[in-house]
This record gives sequence, structure tokens and C-alpha cells, in this order.
Amino acid sequence: MKAVEIDDEIEEGMVVDEEPNSLPNYRLAERRATGKSPYEMLRASKISVEDIVAKILAIKRQDLPGTHLRELATQVFLHFITLRQVNRSILLEEDHVKMETERAKAPVDFTTLQLHNLMYEKSHYLKAIKACKDFKSKYPDIELVSKEDFFRDAPEDIKGSVSSDDTHSLTLKRLHFELSQRKELSKLHEQLEQRKRSLLHTLANRNEFLSSLPSQLKSLKKASLPIQNQLGVLHSKKLKQHLLAGLLPPPLYVVFSQLMAQKEAFDENIDLEIVGSVKDAQSFLRQQANKESGISSNQESFMLEDDVLDEEDDRQRRRKRPKKVPAKENLEYAGFYQVHPLKVMLNIYDDEVSDPKAFKLVALRFEYMLKLNVVCVEMEGSDEGPRYNILCNLFPDDTGIALPYESSKILVGENLKFDEKRSSRPYKWAQHLAGIDFLPEVSTQLKNQGNSGDERSKSIIAASNVSLYRQQNRVETILQRIRCRKKAQLALAEQLNTLEKLKWPSLNHMGVPWALHCPSCNLQSWSLLEFSSNQSLSFPVVETKHVQELIEAGPHNKSSNNTNEQLESAKEDGELPSLALVASVANDVKVTLRGSSCGNSKQLVLMSKSISPIAKVKSFAFKKHDEDLDILLDPESDIDEPTQIEPEKESTNASLGLKLAGDSWIECGAREYCLVLTRKLHTNERKVKLEAKIQISMEYPVRPPLFSLNIAASSGESRSGKFQWYNESRAMEAEVNLHMLKMVPSEQENYTLAHQVHCLAMLFDHYLDRAYPSSGRGESTSIVDVGLCKPIIGSLLTRSLRGRDHRNIISWKHAYSKQT
Amino acid sequence: MCFDSRNWNEESYRDSILKARELQTRTVFRAIWAPSSNPNPDTIVVASSDGLISSYSVSSCISKHASGFISSRNHNMLTIKPDSVLRGHDGSVYDVKFYGDGEDTLLLSCGDDGRIRGWKWKDITLSDAPNYSIGNHVQPVIDLVNPQHKGPWGALSPIPENNALAIDVKQGSIYAAAGDSCAYCWDVETGKAKMIFSGHRDYLHCIVLRSSANQIITGSEDGTARIWDCRSARCVHVIAPEKDLKYEKFSSCISCIALDASENWLVCGCGSSLSLWNLPASECISKIPTSAPALDVIFYDNQILEVGAAPVLSRFDMKGNVLSQIHCAPQLSFSISLHHSGVCSSYPSSFCLWNLILFSFSFSSCKFIRISVAICS
Repeated sequence: MKAVEIDDEIEEGMVVDEEPNSLPNYRLAERRATGKSPYEMLRASKISVEDIVAKILAIKRQDLPGTHLRELATQVFLHFITLRQVNRSILLEEDHVKMETERAKAPVDFTTLQLHNLMYEKSHYLKAIKACKDFKSKYPDIELVSKEDFFRDAPEDIKGSVSSDDTHSLTLKRLHFELSQRKELSKLHEQLEQRKRSLLHTLANRNEFLSSLPSQLKSLKKASLPIQNQLGVLHSKKLKQHLLAGLLPPPLYVVFSQLMAQKEAFDENIDLEIVGSVKDAQSFLRQQANKESGISSNQESFMLEDDVLDEEDDRQRRRKRPKKVPAKENLEYAGFYQVHPLKVMLNIYDDEVSDPKAFKLVALRFEYMLKLNVVCVEMEGSDEGPRYNILCNLFPDDTGIALPYESSKILVGENLKFDEKRSSRPYKWAQHLAGIDFLPEVSTQLKNQGNSGDERSKSIIAASNVSLYRQQNRVETILQRIRCRKKAQLALAEQLNTLEKLKWPSLNHMGVPWALHCPSCNLQSWSLLEFSSNQSLSFPVVETKHVQELIEAGPHNKSSNNTNEQLESAKEDGELPSLALVASVANDVKVTLRGSSCGNSKQLVLMSKSISPIAKVKSFAFKKHDEDLDILLDPESDIDEPTQIEPEKESTNASLGLKLAGDSWIECGAREYCLVLTRKLHTNERKVKLEAKIQISMEYPVRPPLFSLNIAASSGESRSGKFQWYNESRAMEAEVNLHMLKMVPSEQENYTLAHQVHCLAMLFDHYLDRAYPSSGRGESTSIVDVGLCKPIIGSLLTRSLRGRDHRNIISWKHAYSKQT
Repeated sequence: MCFDSRNWNEESYRDSILKARELQTRTVFRAIWAPSSNPNPDTIVVASSDGLISSYSVSSCISKHASGFISSRNHNMLTIKPDSVLRGHDGSVYDVKFYGDGEDTLLLSCGDDGRIRGWKWKDITLSDAPNYSIGNHVQPVIDLVNPQHKGPWGALSPIPENNALAIDVKQGSIYAAAGDSCAYCWDVETGKAKMIFSGHRDYLHCIVLRSSANQIITGSEDGTARIWDCRSARCVHVIAPEKDLKYEKFSSCISCIALDASENWLVCGCGSSLSLWNLPASECISKIPTSAPALDVIFYDNQILEVGAAPVLSRFDMKGNVLSQIHCAPQLSFSISLHHSGVCSSYPSSFCLWNLILFSFSFSSCKFIRISVAICS
């Protein structure tokens, strides 16, 4: 639109411009006056010429008189003139337009030219900018100090008055600054180098001195040894132990360090020692290091080795001991039972005695099995053989027979149980003491070589676990338990000794009724029945087939009586099944045979009698079980026949004799004794015999001895009498096994067995006094039930029985049942 | 609970050992079926020597027992937990009985401490018992104590125990066989002793009610059973089965008594025999020798079922012939109770007409729960 306007202006301008000199203007004016454009006029003239010619032609053809021809010709000529005129004006106009165009073109050309110039200029600048931008300095990667540092640190002469906007000069100045600084630094570097050289020099001098020092010190140490011994300062020994501790495998190290800490912090009365060959330990360490990383172990251990080797040499010189033994041991213990050459010895002393050289209770040896990753414990100097192991069941369900961890079980494979012959056992508490439950698998010595980050996190975990370990008081608990156990076992052994001599064990505590009671029955016999087998544990599920075999073996054994010859045959027969099945009951047979070595054939008969019922009851119960299941599943089976009642009254203790498989660990290390109490009745010279089987578990006294009683029927008793005895023995069992224990004060608990035996004797006396009142004793202790002494009856009656089960009234029972 | 050196708690370990011992030394004196609208009751109430009254559900016992049996031979029976436990008495609980039926059923128990206690059965079954190991969660609604006798110089006798209970719902009375050779009749409403039946020479073992004649029959340690008139508290008749034979002292007590449904026949266990009496004629019809002293006896139709100090359950007819003997595991059973399951749908239809489930309990119930199914034809 604007362009159009401009054009108009230009045209107007031109019109104004041309006005003075133009003809065309005149024409234009003329044209305007006529109101027609030349082309129209041309066309009109042409049309009128053609009309006229057509008229002429028509006239000619019709031969009309040519009067009008002249006129017509004139008109044609006139028109021709007009035509010419018009033609001329058209041409003129054309010229005029051309000129106008020509004139208008000039400024356009000029501006175009200008535009091109500008464009060129622009592209030039752009190129220049790009070139500037792309400019690369010769040293593009000079690290400069940051701007802030520059403004802060640069001296005024370099900084000048520079504003942060002027980057170029700023950069330049920074470069200057950089240069100056670097120069300074290089100067410093040189200085330091020089200093280093001088220091190295002095260091070398000193090293020389130091290297000569050890030999001096060694000679000094050697010289001091006799003095140390004389003064009783075992400094060097302690030092050696600490050095050795560094060589211990991690679990043993935990054992050692924690026990040591306990000893030093709480004055525990224990002694610790590391035994074993140092050389072996070092060679083992090196072996392991080689295996792990291919690099020989670190320098420290070598130095240590030198030191220790020296001592070793000393000792050898002194002792002249052949060094073959440990190597041999190593060979022997190859395979799964490979043991680390170093062991920790722990001596536990009695803590109640104030005397520093107190009575030594136990000595334990901890060793570490490499392949199985378990810590084993052994009692030093226990001559009773592996079966009598006071460490077993220190905590519930910890027999030390099964391996404590699944991984080690998998390693060993199918052979699940631990080697029986070894006296050292992998108790769970030992693992807890050694912290195997949290120690990382990597050994300490290899830690230095491992990548640090991983190790650090591991050691952090270990540290937190160690604190947990301390919070749980593991060391204290275990030491406490071992002490209690040993003391209890000592006390127990003392009591057993007295009993073996058929004397009543003595009681120190007089505050219980049985302590004051003077037993009127005799302690007739005391014998060891059974040393519970450990093997039974590994076969908790006894198949019925085996049991049936055993039933056959049982009566056979029983029938083989008095003569020694038959005993021999029984031995053979008895051991045959034990080869086939290693069930617990098989052991009973063996035990019988052990008893035979005692010689007393009468006693033996008694024992074999008393054992076989157990076996029978066990099998009986299994059969029973089967039957009952049958009944449940198939009620129509023919169980309705009258069944025979077995005349087996000895097996009355079925309920106590039956052991549950889940608790089979309790039996580990348990011993069973047979105690026989007799009393002669004054009335008819009969003897009443009370047979008590006493099972003493390793957990004594925490788990008190379990009595199973059996009052042997003397001849001429009726059935109901047996019933009576059954009830009575059950009642006594309840008293002895449970109720009376609540009366034994806790400080007396190591003498629980003595208390129980006394209590049993008292109950037996009491019972006999009631059952046979004419026996003439014990009236004084009975209570008079005044409810029955009414005049109707006329005599003073003492009431002795009570309840549906004919229980004897025990006068003191109620007194303490109210207490508790 | 896990006991090892890491968190050793010796006290609780000791307690757990003693708890296990307690279970081992337990004696069950009575096991009865709890009443229910279902003709085939499922719950057993058990009275045991540790003073606890516990209820077990048979179906859950069986299912646990059976599955446990299959999985392992040495299934630990101690794992069967009672549904609810009540601390009934100090000392043994000798008898439990249910009083009444329906909503207001009471569970009565008596025991060595000479008390009779009653609880609302509904409360026991409904309570979820968060502290069921203690067993004190339900308070007894009845608590009766036997009187103490005053002797010379003001000496008080020990409280005599209650050995058995008999229930008379119509009169609202409880009869108790007590240890002071008397039987007591207690009024349930007032809680007072209405009547004292004295005359026995030794303590009482058992008591039954003969409601048709308003009589009670007691059996005593002195070897006699006595029939008492409840209105006058007089002894009507003395039955002395062993009067002629002089046996030893403990063989001669009357340990159990049972009446048949018509209340004309009485059987009492006396030493190693059962004697069957016709009450209208007051004469001993037959004497049945048993293998061991009878401890509980019961009528079932025209048969007599007996348990005692032998591990068998015997079935006799009225003439005294042995019909069958069923072995049961315990050496000695104190209780037998009937369970009519004739119309029980859960059992196979092939034996639905004459079934009875006999339940016998004895020592260490938890180990020796045995359910014997006998088919009587």
C-alpha cells in the first residue's frame, strides 16, 4: 500500500516535473477533454472506417448511384487522419512512459547498490567476529588462580587499577600474577629439595645407628632374663604372648583378647596362655597369604618372626627338644579336622577364695579348626574319657556333638556328627565366645592387603558386634557357668562317693525337715546303671523294626542269668544288634556288661531286670502308638478281643522312662544310678525294698536329678497292694522331683542330690510307718486328724490316707506349699 | 525361647525345667465331657493333681495327634495345649461335675483343699483368657469350704478334702464325699451346708445320687457303701461287700460306685472286684473279679465298663462275664466317661448305631491321651 502511495507520489512528482515542457500534456488534456483514450478512439475510428467501407462496398455491389461516395471517401480520409493522429499520440505517450520509467529506475538502482554495500559490510564484520571468537591462545590450558584469589592476593603493582569488566586486561594481569607466583614456587621447590637431601643424609646416619641398636638391646635383654626370673616379673613372657596373639586366627584372637580383657578389667581369677609352635603358625600364615594373594606376608610378621625365632632358639638350646612332634600332629589332623597350630589355654580358678593362688578348677584348651571354621574346647587332664565331659550342655541343647553351623555341616557332608573320639568339642558357647557368629570370613592378617574401603566397613560392623558381645556379657556368663558346673560336679562327685560307700550323704543345711529325720531304712545298694550314650543323639528316630529286634534281644539278655558262661553268651548276643543299630537302647546292653565286671552277680541280675523293662516299655509304647493310630484310622479293626494283661509291674515308670526325641540332648552325658533302700518290717520279718533310678544330667543342679521310683513287692502282697505302691511311688516321685526342690535353699543347690536322697528316705520311712503302723516307729511325726477322733469310734485314730489316690498325708507339704 | 551364652537367663531356664517337671508328675483324676447342644460333645474337662482344671477340644487333639504322628514318630504330646485353664484348688482336684444345663451351666470342682468351687461354664468358654497360664481369669461364683473339726484343747483338724461330687439340680443341692468320713449336702443358693451324713468309719471315696428315691449312696475307705435318706440324713442301709472276707486294709475300700439308668442296679468297685446289687431287693446279685482294683465304673446300657489299676478297660455284662478288654496306655486310670456318638455325622456311617467313645485318662494326661473307640454289638 505504501509502495503504491510512493509510486503515486513519484508519478505526481514527475507529472509536476514534466508539466512545463510537454506536448503530451496537451494531448492528455485533449484526451481528457474528449473523454476517450486514444485506443478507444482508434478502435472507434477503425469501426467507423469499416462501416464506411462496408457502405461503399454495398453501394458498389448494388450499383447504387455514387453520390455519396465522395462524401464517404472524405469521411474515410478524415478517419484516417484521426487514426494517424491517434497513432502518433500513442507513440508519443509510449516514449513518454519509457522516459518516465528510465528516470524512476535510477534511484532504485542506487538504493540497490547501497543495500549490497551494506550486506557486504555486514558479512565482513561477522567474519571478523567469528575469527575473533575462534581465536586460540598459544597456551590455552594454563591454570590460573581464580578471580577472587587474584583480587585478594595479587600485589598492587600487578593488579593496577583493573576493573572486573575488562576481562582482557584482567586475564593478562592474572597471567602475570600466575607467572610471578610460579616462579616463586619453583624457587621454594628447589629449596625444599635441598633440605630433603640434607635430611636424607641425616636419616641415613641415624639409620645406621639404629640398625646397630637391636643387637645391643638383644644382648641387654638376654642379660636381664635371669634378673626377671628372679624378680618374678614375667614381662618378656607376657610380651611373647602378645606377639603370639597376633598370629592367632581371628576366633581364637577374640577368645584370647576378650578373656584377657575380662581378666584385667574385672580381676577374674583366670590364667591365659597361648601354646603351640610359632614357626608352624608363621608358615601357616605365609601359606595362607600366598594362597590368597600371591604376595608373601608383610614385613611386620617377618620382623616378628626374627624376634620370636630367636626366643625359640633359646628355648631349644635349653631344652633340646626334638621338633618333630608338631609336624606329625599336623599330618594327623589333616582333612576336615585340620587345626590351627596355635591354641589358647585357659585356667579357671575358684573365685570365691581370696587367696591369689586359689584352687584351680578347670583348664580348658581352645583350638580352631580351619576347614570347619569352628572353635573346639577340650578339658585338660580329664582322665574320665570323652563320655564324661562336664562341658557338655553348659547351656541348653549344646552337646558339642553336632557341628554348630550349617555351613560347616555342609562341608562335612552326610557325616553329620563330629568325630566322637576327639576330646575337643565344638560347643556352641565356644563359638559364641569366639564371636564366630559375627567375625568376617577374612583373617586379620590379610586385611592389610585388601582394598581399604571394604575392609573399613567390615571392621565397623565387627566393632559394633564386639560392643554387642560385651553387652551380652558373654565372657562373664561363660566363666560363671563353667565355675558353677565344675563346682557342682565336684560336689556331686563327693556325694556320689559317699553313696557308693553306702553312707548317707551329709547335709549342711538343717532348715529342712528331712535333715532332722534320722532314716530308719538302709541304703542297700548304689550302682551306676547307664552312662547315657552320645550316639543316641545322632539317631533320634528309632525305627520300629530296630526296636522289635531289640525286644528280642531284651528277654534274651534277661534270661541269661547267674552263671558267667551265660553272661558271656549274652555279651556276644547283646553286642550283635548294637552293631546293626546304634540306637540308644543298644547301649543299655553294653552297660549291663560293664556292670558285670563289678563281679557281683546278684547285682547284675537286678540291673538287667531293671534295664530290660525300659527297653520294653519303649518298644511297648511304640507299638501302642501304632495300635492307637490304627484304631483312629480304622475303627473296625478287630481290637475288641479280650487282651491279655501283661504281668509286667516293673514297668510302672513308663511315663518317666519315656523320653521325648526333642529333648534327647538332655541325655547327653547323663548318668543313671540305681539306689535301693530297704527296710525290715518288724511284724512279719519281710523286707520292703524301694528301688530308685536316678538320672543325673550334666546340667546338675540346674536340672535336678530325676528319680523314678519302684517299690518292689515282697512276697504275699495282693494286687491292690501293688496299686497302692504305684500310687505311692508316684506321689513320692512328685515330692522328690519337684516339690521338695522349692525348699532347698539356693546356696545348697549343689547338694540337691543329697537332699533328695534324704527326702526320699524320709518319705519312704513315713510311708512304711503308715502302711505298717505296727512296725513301731515314727508315731511321733504323724499328725492327728482330730476330725476322726470322735467318741463314736472311741479310739484315737490317726488318719494316714487322703484323696482318691490314697496318698499319704505328708504333714509338712502344706506348710511350704503355702509359702511358695 | 532360646537359651545360650548370648542372652543367658538362668532364672527363666530353671523355671522352664520345673514347669516341664510339673507336667511330668501330673495325675489326672477326672475327665468328663462338657455338656453341649451338640449330641456329640467335643470338649473334655480334665481335673488334675496340680490343681488345674483344663479343657481340651477332642477334635483338635486328634488332628494334631494324627498329623504329628505321621510327621514324626516321636511326636511330643506335650505340645497339645488346653483350650482354657482354671486354677481350681490348692493341691489336687479330685472331681469335676457340671451343674444344670443351658445358659446357666456351672462347672463344679472339688479338691484336696476341701473346697467346692463353681464357675459359670459360659464365662470359661467365652473368655479368651489372655492370662490363661495363671488360670485366674474367671472368678468362681460358688466357693464352699468344708468345716474344720475342733478336737481336744481347741486343736483344729486339717480341712478335710472332697473326693467326689454328686449333683441334684431339682433340689439345688451338691453332695460332697469328704475326707472326714462325712458326706455334706450343700445348698447352691445359700452356700450353706444343709445336711451332714455321718456314720462312715473312714473317709469317703465316692458318692452318687439316686434321685428316684431321694437317696444318696456313698462309698468309703472303711469298706462299706451306705445308702442315705436325703430328707432325714439317716443311713438307710449299709452295704458291705467284703464283710465276710477279711482282706488287707487297702484292698477293702469302696473306690467307685455307679447306678444304672433305672436306678435299680448298683455296682461298686471294692478291692479287686466289682459287686452288683439289686437295690429294691437289697441283695448282691453277682461279684465280678477284676484284674486290678477298680477305680471307676460306669453303666452303659446293660453293660458295665470298668477302669482301674491295670492298663485295660474292661466290659462286663450283668452276669459278670467279660465281654471285652481294651488296652489303654496308662498304667492306671482314675476316670471313665461315656460319649454317645450314635448320630455323629463326622464318623463313618457304618458304625453309627452302637458306637461309644470311651475316654480314659490317667497319669500324665498330656502324654497319654488316648481315645479308644469300641464297637459294641
